[in-house]
Amino acid sequence: MLAFTLVLFTIFIIFQLLYIFFPLLFAKPGKGFEKLEEEKGFSIIIPAFNEQKIILDCIKGMVNLQYQNYEAIFVNDGSTDETLELLTSHLQLEPTKRKLPAIKIPHQRVNEVYRSKLFPKIFVIDKHNGGKADSLNAGTEYSVKKFIVTLDADSVLDPKALQALNSAFEDERVLAAGGMVQIGQGFEGNYLKPTPTFKKSGIIKYQVLQYLTSFYLHKLTQTKMKSIIVIAGAFGAFRKEALLAVDGYRKTVGEDMDITLRLHQLIKTTKKYQHMKLIFVPYALCYTECPESFKDLYNQRIRWQKAFIDCVLYYKKSFIKKLGVRVSTFFLLESLLLGTINAFFLILIPIMFLFNQDHYMIAVALFTITVLLSSYQSIATVIVSNRYGITYSLSNYIKIALFIPFEVITYRLLGILFVINGTVGYFKNKDSWYVSKRIGTNSSFVDDKTYEHNQAV
Amino acid sequence: MKKVFINIMFVLSFLLLFFTVANLFADDFVEAFSPDFFPKDKRLNISACQRWSEDVRDFHVNGQDKADQISVLMYHRVIEDNHISEEHLDNNGLLKKTIIRKSAFEKQMQALKDAHYTTLTPKEFLLFMEGKLDIPKKSILLTFDDGYKDNVVEVYPILKKHGFKALNFVITEAITEKKQSYNPEKHQYLSVNEIEKSCDVFSFQSHTYNYHKENEKEEAYLVYKPQQDIEEDISISLVNLDQNNLSFAYPFGEYNQQTIQSLQKLGFKMAFTTEYKDAKPGMNMYEIPRKEVFPEDTVEDFKHKINMK
Repeated sequence: MLAFTLVLFTIFIIFQLLYIFFPLLFAKPGKGFEKLEEEKGFSIIIPAFNEQKIILDCIKGMVNLQYQNYEAIFVNDGSTDETLELLTSHLQLEPTKRKLPAIKIPHQRVNEVYRSKLFPKIFVIDKHNGGKADSLNAGTEYSVKKFIVTLDADSVLDPKALQALNSAFEDERVLAAGGMVQIGQGFEGNYLKPTPTFKKSGIIKYQVLQYLTSFYLHKLTQTKMKSIIVIAGAFGAFRKEALLAVDGYRKTVGEDMDITLRLHQLIKTTKKYQHMKLIFVPYALCYTECPESFKDLYNQRIRWQKAFIDCVLYYKKSFIKKLGVRVSTFFLLESLLLGTINAFFLILIPIMFLFNQDHYMIAVALFTITVLLSSYQSIATVIVSNRYGITYSLSNYIKIALFIPFEVITYRLLGILFVINGTVGYFKNKDSWYVSKRIGTNSSFVDDKTYEHNQAV
Repeated sequence: MKKVFINIMFVLSFLLLFFTVANLFADDFVEAFSPDFFPKDKRLNISACQRWSEDVRDFHVNGQDKADQISVLMYHRVIEDNHISEEHLDNNGLLKKTIIRKSAFEKQMQALKDAHYTTLTPKEFLLFMEGKLDIPKKSILLTFDDGYKDNVVEVYPILKKHGFKALNFVITEAITEKKQSYNPEKHQYLSVNEIEKSCDVFSFQSHTYNYHKENEKEEAYLVYKPQQDIEEDISISLVNLDQNNLSFAYPFGEYNQQTIQSLQKLGFKMAFTTEYKDAKPGMNMYEIPRKEVFPEDTVEDFKHKINMK
């Protein structure tokens, strides 16, 4: 038992050290990206299911892009609220005809395709309800550009986001790219010129640090190791041919992790794509809304965990052989062993101490090292974020410094709860879980806000 | 430049903190992975601190005060009265034979102190038995068998307070390298630390390495095992005890002529049995009797036992 603990802990330390020191010492933020004269075409697909509260904000973000060669496609996935009406009135929609591609990918029936008279770059597809993956498939099929950007309805693109992606895809080997998802609440002022702030509630500060760590440390490192586990559904970009080559999205709540793994499989198993890669583009920014209450956060994280477990089971036979050693290592060791199995293990420890107190000093040692590593990782996050342009004021930095050690032993532990309840929930309610994926039309689940971004972290 | 500076500061401070923490807990990890039995080649670092075992005082005793026989007392465990639990009782609800209440032990030592008794060093006792040293009538030799943890937790402070010395016959295989917290309900043995800490009062002697055992026919290892194996086992205990081969105590008090031969071969000067008698010069040095102190002994019984009146 003790030996097992220490093996687990050693793996934990190795990954933590990698995530701390790789981005800190080797990442080259340089002076940002190079703006190219020639613009590649991007189709931005925004699935929308009952998004009447936020859909108009999203449109605002669309029309401020400093880019010409793009189209924005809102996919109304059989919303039962006023989403379509709001879009129709604000965009002055009128039906239009679209040429469909030769390759089809399965999705629910489309009622009508509209184009905005006000903003000719904006289209709306009105279709029967089929879920997020289904909507993305419909959007992909109707799109005309070479590159697809997927965006959550509650996310707003930074005006320069497409320029950054344009530069990133200049490299022919880039098959897909994940953008930097920032938490909108972590900024203040005009979104065209946002200023990061840390004067927020604890639950938001926790998520801000977590997102920064996840993207600037983890995804940067994973890019280098050629093992990005997930291109966040909130903001990802793909060569359209790649999405078509894997037959589009699979209907699961973890569709973003699923498509990422599908692309890894494509690279590993197809000669044509064997030199391609998935990357993280730190300069392509989008701002998303994070949950502000514990209940919403809990629901979101439970959903992420269920999505993760779903992918583990779906790909269980594909690891190593079809997904390659590196991706499998990160997925199985880091996400599954350290992320999930470890959580169950962690709650066993206090129980074990009730029976056997022999090794309590070992437990104290492991706890101390964990706090040390976690704090240093957060410090590295702040330093690396600063190099990528997330610069806080001095008073905010003081707040961050005070928050880090506190967060490590409080909010951070919530992760254990999320992982355990999500995993247990997945296996316990497997049937109802499949229903809540809303394959087909099921209006009884309209409350289930399936459209929040999955697996952003 | 600024980036390089921050990186260096970050790495240095991290390394400093990390190694400080690692250093702080290194012992605990070593302990956690050290074996449950005491290694055969491990040597206790106690020769310097128990050099007093060889001390011989000049008692200036005249004819009348001279002892012609003395008692060697045998103890095993001493347990605090409040700690006595089910574990320490036999089937009749009485204290097991090897356990003495701390309160009783305190009274016994106080009685020795009040009567101005002298506790002998092993060497003084040896010389007395060989007829080479005169000692006062009020002399006594204290011995503890097996090397229980309570000997240091409970007994050591009392002996130390009175300035008493004692022999402690340890089963060296049972010595632990781990720092365990004291739990009177368990059969805990001395740790390396405790031995090193208490060797100013206890002279640690051999009680075998791992031969404090009997077979299913209740024959002691020292009686039925091949002589070669016995000698090997005892030699290991001598390695552990830093070659302190002054004396030996037979487990279960069981021995035969072969055992005595083995001890002689290994250089032991004397060995203790469990025969209930006083020790007298001229007795066989490898069959020295000892008087066991029983749990139900009153102070009067005790005084009687050592011929105090």
